[in-house]
Formats: sequence, structure tokens, C-alpha cells
Amino acid sequence: MFREEAGRLTASLVRLLGDFDLAEEMVADAVVEALVRWPVEGVPDRPGAWLLTTARNRAIDRLRRDARYRVKLAKLSALPVTASREPDDRLRLIFTCCHPALDPDAQVALTLRAVAGLTTAEIARAFVVPESTLAKRLTRAKQKIVAAGIPYRTPEPEEWPSRLNQVLRVIYLIFNEAYLTTAGDSVARLELAHDARWLAALLAGWLPGEPEALGLLALLQLHLARWAARVDAHGRIVLLEDQDRSRWDERQIGPALALIERAGRLRRPGPYQIEAAIQAVHCEAPTWDATDWPQILQLYSLLAVYDGTPVVLLNRAIVIGQLEGPEAALVEVDELEGPLGRYYLFHATRAALLQQIGRTHEAHQANRKALQYTANEAEQAMLIDRLARQTGGCTPVLDGGPSSIWPSWPWPGGREPTSVPPAN
Amino acid sequence: MKYVLLLTRGAWQENGTEEERAEVFGGIMEWFGRHSADGTIVEANQLQPPQTATTVVLDRGSSTLVDRPLLEAKEAIGGYAVIDVADLDAALALARSFPMPDGKVEVRPVVER
Repeated sequence: MFREEAGRLTASLVRLLGDFDLAEEMVADAVVEALVRWPVEGVPDRPGAWLLTTARNRAIDRLRRDARYRVKLAKLSALPVTASREPDDRLRLIFTCCHPALDPDAQVALTLRAVAGLTTAEIARAFVVPESTLAKRLTRAKQKIVAAGIPYRTPEPEEWPSRLNQVLRVIYLIFNEAYLTTAGDSVARLELAHDARWLAALLAGWLPGEPEALGLLALLQLHLARWAARVDAHGRIVLLEDQDRSRWDERQIGPALALIERAGRLRRPGPYQIEAAIQAVHCEAPTWDATDWPQILQLYSLLAVYDGTPVVLLNRAIVIGQLEGPEAALVEVDELEGPLGRYYLFHATRAALLQQIGRTHEAHQANRKALQYTANEAEQAMLIDRLARQTGGCTPVLDGGPSSIWPSWPWPGGREPTSVPPAN
Repeated sequence: MKYVLLLTRGAWQENGTEEERAEVFGGIMEWFGRHSADGTIVEANQLQPPQTATTVVLDRGSSTLVDRPLLEAKEAIGGYAVIDVADLDAALALARSFPMPDGKVEVRPVVER
């Protein structure tokens, strides 16, 4: 809750002070103080006002020591008691944090810090990096904004589409980090996923006429609705095909479907809307077998037009497998060896298809290859489990593959799966 | 705000016909002329090719000369422009509009004193 206030406060202060760095630091100090005092003293009636007063008082002392800030000091004293409720300010803030002149990692960290109000420690924990690394990243980014003159405003019309895409991408990156990482604290990861959804909701609220913003929100909502069913009691990933659908939260699915429809009425399709629609088709199916595969194939073909990256084509090939059988799918999958040869799900998919066809030995080899490229323990566990089932003589059923559970396209920076030696 | 645009040489300067190169140069000259006229470009120069460069290496009072540019071959600097624009977005828009078919432009703010 007070994160919302912190975000608003930062935005107002940046506008009032014209100094991103200073505003951000002031709010950071106030937030830390709140974290320390509120559990003891109780949450104040008007948290926004408390934060503002605290931020202002702390900053005034610091500014008095620096002659350059006399003018800013005057502005601080003149600050109104309540922070502005203008959506515009935070919109400017998020566009600034997501400026393409900043490194994608920096955009993510800055957005979580300045807009979502997470502490440096919380962000570091979520991304499993040392806190000092993250602190440096943030400092460098803020210094760049000031030194290089990154303007504090919403983009001009001619830049709007690409800049908006960048913001959507950052929010999606944050969600992916929560969704795909299995290291660390599972509660913290779910919180991060909720933070990403909160950011998406904020954006959709400010920009109701932007269908891709609505699409992203719907997509995140649909993933979150099925979160509980995704991991079993032992912390292993449960593929879509095997998930207990009674654990899906219908209360979250319904509104997301309505959002997709609303976006559709704006008649400007795009990758986030299409991906949301794909997940919607899955969510509407009572069972794996009852899934409307022809519709999903159509949607993937449409998605490939907007985003023809190899992972999208891999997911599409898997759907073809559902409709035309594993041999047809294998032909499509094999064509992607070039770009996806180091992607564990490429080999895992081949393995599943080969197993279905009955080429068991090759399937076994493919699964072992997949193990080399997994990025974390949960992925390894899933593959080891599959290998065990193979050698135990059970025929693993073709799963829905990456499309069902992983976001369909790779991260803009292209996160490379790390090579991990196969576990024994 | 003042920025320096550092423009690299491009593959286009080695390849293509003389007519093609002349055409690109024409476009570049026109670009410089246009933006200098409205004050966006404060100063600009094309540099002579990298082989004409001499590098002075300074070391605690003494110096040596090297018959080479700072940066080798592909990313050699071909020219520079000092610009005065509102903010980074304006500087980037200008850099993006530079009419060379390939190459890079570094955009770096000047220290204002």
C-alpha cells in the first residue's frame, strides 16, 4: 500500500524539484524510515502526508549544507501537504525509468524502485544479485538520467508506440523474472509477480485506449490465476497438461477475459493481446483434451506475424503436433535447431515428440541434451523425472510444451540459458 | 544542453561505386548545412582518414608518438559534431537522422562549466 504512495510521491517530487536523483533519494530515505517505524508505531492515517513530511524534513537538513540547492530548498518549503494525485506524473516517471538509453537491467531496477517503491534489498533478493551490485546499477542509471539529460516527460506522438512497447516489455520482464526463477524465496517471487501485475494495472488505468496495455494486464492476470497449480508440493513444475484445474482461480480468469474483449473492441491487435488470447483459450478449456487447439494454432500463426521469433515458432510447432501428430511437429521443430540449439525446451520438446513417434533412444538422448541447458533446479528436476519415466517404460504423454507455461518469447536482452552439467 | 556526436566511418566508404559514395557524401553535407543553419550544430568537421592520424601517448611528463589512430579500422572516428539541443531525446533524434547507410554515432553530453 505505501508503495503506491511512494511512487506518487517520487513522481510529484521529480516534477516539483526538477531533479530525479534528489527526489528518488528523498523518497528512499522516507520509505526506509517508514519500514522501521510503522510496524512499531502503527500505520499513520494519511501515509502519503507522513511520507512527504518525513522526506521533506530529512532533505531540508541535507540541502542546507549545499549552497547549490538554495533554490530547491525554497521549493521544498513551499511543497503542498498532500502529494499530487495526478496520473500524469507517474506516467512520466515510468516512461523515464524505461528510457531506451538505459540498459534493460537498469530500466527494470529503476521501475521497481521509483514506481513500485521496492527497496534495493527487495529488488536484489528478487533478482538474486548482491545488494551492492543492484545499488550500483541504480546509482549509475540515475546518474545517467541526470548527466545525459534524459527528459522527464511522456514521449512525443512519433515515439509513442516504441516507447510504450518498451514500458510493456519492462513490466513483462519483471513478471518473467518472478515466474521463471525458482531460486530463492517463493513468497517473494509471488510478491514480485503481483508487483508486475500492479504496474500493468496502473498502466492500463492511465492508458485505457491502449489495447496492448490492456492485453498485457490480462496476460499477467491469467498466469497469476493459475499460479497455485503450477508447482507441486515438492516444488517441481507441473506442466499445463497435468495441472489440477480446480486449483485455477476463476475469480481472476473472468475479469481477464473481459479485458481481452475490451482490448479487442479497440481493433488494434498486437502481441500481448494475442498471447493473452492464447492463454484465455487454455483457461476456458475444462480439460487438456477439450482444449480448442485449432483456435490456438490460428492465434500462434497470427502471433508469428507480429513476433516471428524462434520461441514463438517452437510453441506453434507444438500445437501443430496436437493437431497433425508428432511427425509433422518434429519437422517444424527441427528447423529451429539453429537459433534454439542452446535452449533446453527445444531439446525437451524434441524428446517428447520423438518418444511419441517411438524413437525412444533418440528421445532419451534429446532429454539428456536438454539437461545440459537447464537454468535452474526445478527445470532439471522436471527433465530428470521425465528421463526416469522413460527408462521405467512409461510413455510420457506429449505435454503442452513451453507455450502453455512459459511466456512465449525470449527476453529482449536474450537471456541465455546457462550450461549446467547434467545431474546424476 | 551540449552534446558531442562522434561519427564512425562506415563500410559504405570502402564498398560501393564512386557515384554511390559521392551521393552519400552529398546527403551528409546537406545534413550538416541544414542543422548548422538553425544553430543545432555548433561546430562540425569531417576528419581525414585514420591513416593520417598520429597518436601521442603521455606518460608522467614524457610522451611517445604512434603512427596510428586511437581506435582501429572498423570503428574509426570519421567526424564529429558539437550540438546544442533541449535534451537527450532531441540529441538521439538528430543522431538517428544522420544519413549514412551504416556506422555508429556516439552521443555524449559535454561537461558544462
